[in-house]
Amino acid sequence: MTFLLLLVLPVYGQTLQVPDAQQFVGNPQGTPLAGDQLYRRTGEVSALLRCPVCQGLSVADSPSEMAVNMKRQVRELLARGYTEEQILRYFELSYGQFVLLKPKFEGVNALVWVFPVAALLIGVLIVFTKIRKLSTDNRQPTTDNPVDNPDDEYLRRVRDMVGGGKA
Amino acid sequence: MNRTVVIVGSLIAFALVGVLFIGLGKNPAEIRSPLVGRPAPAFALREVGTGRTIDIAQFRGKPVIINFWATWCGPCWEEHPTLVANARQLGDNVQFVGVVFQDAEEKIQGFLNQRGTAYPTLVDQEGKTAIAYGVGGVPETYFLDRNGVIRAKYVGPMDSEILRANLTKATN
Repeated sequence: MTFLLLLVLPVYGQTLQVPDAQQFVGNPQGTPLAGDQLYRRTGEVSALLRCPVCQGLSVADSPSEMAVNMKRQVRELLARGYTEEQILRYFELSYGQFVLLKPKFEGVNALVWVFPVAALLIGVLIVFTKIRKLSTDNRQPTTDNPVDNPDDEYLRRVRDMVGGGKA
Repeated sequence: MNRTVVIVGSLIAFALVGVLFIGLGKNPAEIRSPLVGRPAPAFALREVGTGRTIDIAQFRGKPVIINFWATWCGPCWEEHPTLVANARQLGDNVQFVGVVFQDAEEKIQGFLNQRGTAYPTLVDQEGKTAIAYGVGGVPETYFLDRNGVIRAKYVGPMDSEILRANLTKATN
């Protein structure tokens, strides 16, 4: 059934067909865009897609032919009324989550979101515990301080030597 | 506190080493495409040389090997003899199809005239077929079973052994 849902391009009097988003994500669920709004949204949605042949560049930023083709396709899909979610889903179904510059909060990818927050919270907890322990130690009574312990043999000998032991 | 730090540190270190081992154990060329297990995106494209339209659906009933390539790609030159030789050996049992990736038709035609071919090479329209198949570079090869379902994807140049191993996934 999905094979029937194709974009048809007449060339040289013959019918050519290229794979279309419709066979991946169904009919458009938004409003067809045009003019400045189409231009702006093309840039915004393209910025959410990773250029597959570049090093860390978005489709919006890359000058490569691949990115230009992908951006052209984003524009076409927005003009046909596809929503941002549908367009991102279409590319994800072809390339996997790799193509999304903002990973989804699901599966192993959730670690990307959870781990930094968890690491920050653990760090804050450690620092807080450490500070609390230090301040508690500082408030402890000084009876355990060996300097003030009258029974300390070493201190007694030192005091005797300096003549302060019997004073 | 020190014991806690050692335990937590060890757990993190073990987890990282585990991830590293899992990653090293995988062949980066055997990409787990989200399309594997799904019907191959349909297309009907113009053949280089003849100009006739070839619909991928017309090959339903036998395994199909779709190879995305270009003349500017060195590994594609390296791989080309393997594809041609296997296409000749396998004959009508398996259909090979080449799809041009970001290249000029006249360059493709010149390459094929010079080095020969044994299967149709098709011109992509604005890279839409490559995008639908999730092609990120060339060569990339997809193995379809006789029902048109993608069973394997291989990234990089193939030798006969790799080609036959992936083809087995599409014929089982």
